[in-house]
Amino acid sequence: MKNMEHNGLPRGQRTGMITALALSAAILALTTGFLVTEKKGFSESENRYLASFPQFSWESVKSGDYTEALSEYASDHFPFRELFMGLKTRAELALGRREINGILIGDSDYLIEPYEKPENTEKIAGIFRNFSEKIDGMRAEGRELNLNLMLIPTAVTVLRDKLPQGAPTENQMETAETILRASGMPTIDSLEALKKQSETGQVYYRTDHHWTTYGAYAGYVEYCRALGFEPVPLEELKSSVVTDSFAGSIYAKVHDSRQPLDSITIYENPADRLTVTYEDTGETSDSLYNLDYLEKRDKYSLFLNNLHPLVTIANETAESQRELVLIKDSYANSMVPFLTRHYRRIHVLDTRYYKMGPAAYIREHPEVTDVLLLYNMNTLDTDLGVRGIY
Amino acid sequence: MPASSSDMVFSSIPFLFFFLPLCLILYYAVPFSWKNGVLLAFSLLFYAWGEPVYIVLMLFSSEVDYWVGRLMDRFGTTKGRRRFFLCCSVAVNLSLLGFFKYADFVIQMVNGVFHTSIPLLGLGLPVGISFFTFQTMSYSIDLYRREVPVEKDHLAYLTYVSMFPQLVAGPIVRFATVQQELHHRTITVEKFQSGMLRFMQGLFKKVLIANQVGALWEAIRAMEPGTASVSAAWLGAAAFTLQLYFDFSAYSDMAIGMGEMMGFSFPDNFRYPLSAVSVTDFWRRWHISLSSWFKDYVYIPLGGNRAGVGKHLRNMLIVWFLTGLWHGAAWNFVLWGLYYGVLLALEKYVWGKGLSRLPGVLQHGYTLLIVVVGFVVFVFDDMNALGLYLQSMTGLLGNDLWGAECGWYLSNYGVVLAAAVLLAFPVYPWAREKAAAWSAASESAASETAATGTAAAGSGAMLALRHGLCTAGTLAGYGLLFMLTVAYLVNDTYNPFLYFRF
Repeated sequence: MKNMEHNGLPRGQRTGMITALALSAAILALTTGFLVTEKKGFSESENRYLASFPQFSWESVKSGDYTEALSEYASDHFPFRELFMGLKTRAELALGRREINGILIGDSDYLIEPYEKPENTEKIAGIFRNFSEKIDGMRAEGRELNLNLMLIPTAVTVLRDKLPQGAPTENQMETAETILRASGMPTIDSLEALKKQSETGQVYYRTDHHWTTYGAYAGYVEYCRALGFEPVPLEELKSSVVTDSFAGSIYAKVHDSRQPLDSITIYENPADRLTVTYEDTGETSDSLYNLDYLEKRDKYSLFLNNLHPLVTIANETAESQRELVLIKDSYANSMVPFLTRHYRRIHVLDTRYYKMGPAAYIREHPEVTDVLLLYNMNTLDTDLGVRGIY
Repeated sequence: MPASSSDMVFSSIPFLFFFLPLCLILYYAVPFSWKNGVLLAFSLLFYAWGEPVYIVLMLFSSEVDYWVGRLMDRFGTTKGRRRFFLCCSVAVNLSLLGFFKYADFVIQMVNGVFHTSIPLLGLGLPVGISFFTFQTMSYSIDLYRREVPVEKDHLAYLTYVSMFPQLVAGPIVRFATVQQELHHRTITVEKFQSGMLRFMQGLFKKVLIANQVGALWEAIRAMEPGTASVSAAWLGAAAFTLQLYFDFSAYSDMAIGMGEMMGFSFPDNFRYPLSAVSVTDFWRRWHISLSSWFKDYVYIPLGGNRAGVGKHLRNMLIVWFLTGLWHGAAWNFVLWGLYYGVLLALEKYVWGKGLSRLPGVLQHGYTLLIVVVGFVVFVFDDMNALGLYLQSMTGLLGNDLWGAECGWYLSNYGVVLAAAVLLAFPVYPWAREKAAAWSAASESAASETAATGTAAAGSGAMLALRHGLCTAGTLAGYGLLFMLTVAYLVNDTYNPFLYFRF
């Protein structure tokens, strides 16, 4: 046979054999890698706990939970996991994908979370209406209370021109309007203000689902306008860029190592004299920021020291004797620094964790004059936070 | 309702990096007499991984057929007795299949017709039941017809039924095909390499193509019924067609490849069905092991086409009704089967001859149109949803011809779709042949020059270079696709196996 080589395999098959052996070696190398590498408990880059080895029980085997947990364990601790995830992203980008792991890849390096079809609109509107009626009840007893609701649109709505061409998203403002109308509360619209603000600067992070402090300032100005406050001009505040390497929550979903990172700017009012009390731990501070978080992955947590059920912020030099109860999600954390000027005390309730009912809290604190509910439109539907409002 | 996430699928990290290597290493290490035992043990583990309870059914079905075979052999002295034993086997298998797969369907029908309210049983479908019952029945029927000798090696028979490569999604391997190999098979380096590569091709097809076009289909399907533009509806239907083909044929490739690595030769199940030139041709290329099963065990015993046109049409309708029903307990599958029954009859008796005189491109277009519309019927088990989708494909809902979403999906999935379409035609074997010819041409040139004794050294170098290039290209191609596949598996994205539900 003319194309038979000395080792007995025809040339074509020798190519096949080399390939088959190389693939086998690759599989065995990865298996070995899996077995010998140390298993991490927490993934910094994905910002989540990795699966642990499942506990064996007949019940879990019977239901299929056991083998499913084994599969998760295998994929969570796979060698070079992050490298492989990055490879998938790069390949998809190269193939023209503008939606990766559910994230839209926008223009100017914006990674944008799409808005999914909401499912709890009526329930949420009901919660707000219920709360609004409770406030009405207090007013009937002679309390004077300003109640306002702000639903902040996210990047997918405000930065519409940055979205990839044709990307399908649900209309956030339609949902917002339904909720606002049904809530029975006075509402403050921030969409136009945010759009306008985005012409002069960055109002959302490129790699995170939050608004920037510059975006939050626009929300703050709208709030002031509604309440008749004179907003503090941005130039009067002391601004500092505390990091330029913020890789936010969306970054962790996309795994694109070439994605430029964000910087975080914080603002402080030199005129304020603050005492921030974290009521759950009893800690106090004179700053709204915990810069220790700059060492960590989730740098947005530096605002108001991450999440706490109840934080009170007293300002000795406030311009008025008013007090505000702020019922909110994490979006509000970057707006609070602007609000402090106007309130002797701000009570910040995160209803994901504060479980005693904000209405009862307001009743117990007769000095409270203003109530603001502030949520972002993207997590409103899925986050269980608003269910803590009663 | 694709495979639940606890099923062991071939395209998963536990299977690829633990189950398969361990199985193959042990399998190669033990002496031949133990190989069936190793294969059986791993097969049971494989089944139990996703179905620790229903494994009993599979064992029961294979035990019944094994013992029916032994009894038929021992006591089947008359045709009547043999028939009795055969009926036992068929009755047990069809009862299992009927009960676990069709009970709720029948109850729903009874409730609908008689306005009763018998509660549904809500049984989960045991994985692979449609495949293993058909496999074991092939043994009983062939034995009844004296087409295979009786199997007296209990272990070998159990190994046959439970063999994990084809256990859950085919191809449907008949006992007659592998009986010899269960007792004597050779395991060679050559089979290892070609089996390994076949397996890898299947893995790539599944993860890099089927799952991707599948995600496109899911996205389009998830749109509010009637809001999709006509073009998006067609794009969705095409994406599902490609998903089903790549998903199912990938599974067959992986099964055949693993079989080959272990010394078995399973029959081919797909021969580029989307490149068919008629519906008749399509069914010679799609899920071949199923259609030939129905042909040999139902159609021909009914008389096939040899008893006049009337009976032929009847037989076709029976076979295609059953083929449809085999795919699932819902009316759309029956409809899908009958759709093909009618079209095949029309090709046979009305326009088959005319069709074959048309230009090739029209023949392809005609076939693809029928296949794509057929798979839309196949995918919606809700008749209302099916109706709406078909209407949105025709624009009868007043939906736009072209929508922005279509542009979005094309820009996101265009490359994958193009690759899928290309690979659905026999482009890959064509390219391989070309490469081989290129290499062989240089080789024959080289041997000629060597024979004449001139410039042998230069040609030898040329030959080595070309061959080296071929090897490097193959290696790089497989290597890259393998890395990408692992990347997708680690990401743990959308990864169902469609045919697990049948």
